[in-house]
Amino acid sequence: MFFHIVLERNMQLHPRHFGRNLRENLVAKLMKDVEGTCSGQHGFVVAITGIENIGKGLIRDGTGFVTFPVKYQCVVFRPFKGEILEAVVTMVNKMGFFAEAGPVQIFVSNHLIPDDMEFQSGDMPNYTTSDGSVKIQKDSEVRLKIIGTRVDATEIFCIGTIKDDFLGVINDPATA
Amino acid sequence: MLRADEEDASELKIGDDFLKAKCLMNSEVAILLEHRCDQMKHMSGDSTTQLPQVLEKSLQYVKRFSRFTNQGSVKQVREVLSRYQLAEFELAVIGNLCPENVEEAKSVVPSLKTKGRGHDDEAIERLLNDLLMIKKFE
Repeated sequence: MFFHIVLERNMQLHPRHFGRNLRENLVAKLMKDVEGTCSGQHGFVVAITGIENIGKGLIRDGTGFVTFPVKYQCVVFRPFKGEILEAVVTMVNKMGFFAEAGPVQIFVSNHLIPDDMEFQSGDMPNYTTSDGSVKIQKDSEVRLKIIGTRVDATEIFCIGTIKDDFLGVINDPATA
Repeated sequence: MLRADEEDASELKIGDDFLKAKCLMNSEVAILLEHRCDQMKHMSGDSTTQLPQVLEKSLQYVKRFSRFTNQGSVKQVREVLSRYQLAEFELAVIGNLCPENVEEAKSVVPSLKTKGRGHDDEAIERLLNDLLMIKKFE
């Protein structure tokens, strides 16, 4: 799920950036430092949308650098256990398939794919029901439920399932 | 902060930070990010600038999965849904997935039925109808 959230960060600024453009320099540095990063607590910071408040700067002993506490609003993407979302399938193999929801990768193991779907190898590996009516392959859109998350320093990785009511390939109005 | 094994979105356990934060529907994120991308391209004065990967991926994702594309209807969806005493998180999930019937709605947002907050089937039905109307007249 995407959230609009207020975060805080202490920014260190070199004295050469002081002057009239101090605020702009600070904001530009913040965007460069923060956008695209990922933390386990808040997820992926997708984009900064506004600056809430810049606190009083504090000169650091000995260096001349100044630390400013900056409060900013941003759009973050944070997956939660139990959340249901839509994703695009990126890779299919006999262990299961990988799907992507924005910056997050989700793995769905073949144990969590409905039992009536069988793996078919070939140029376009896929999972298909015995009557061939439902097919999961690369670029399919699926609705899945996240059942576990693992957090790395720079990445969040999720395990999902499509073995539940109202989960699985999304009905494409063009083919239905 | 919530430990990973304690969080469960189906019971709305998503930690204080996120309960207080505003949840965004994919359609809203699409509007925000497109604006941000334009801004970035404008700043660099070059329309072919490479966007940061996380931004690029998110933008592609929300464009693909936006149920509502015009700004007016996105606003309307939020307005209509906020009349039903939903938590922010529930509102966004319903807005993202647009369930077609009551059973589906209760399945994708289990917290609708567990809390006994007066979300009977009729109320959910009305909510889904309202949503359908907006979609129809978009």
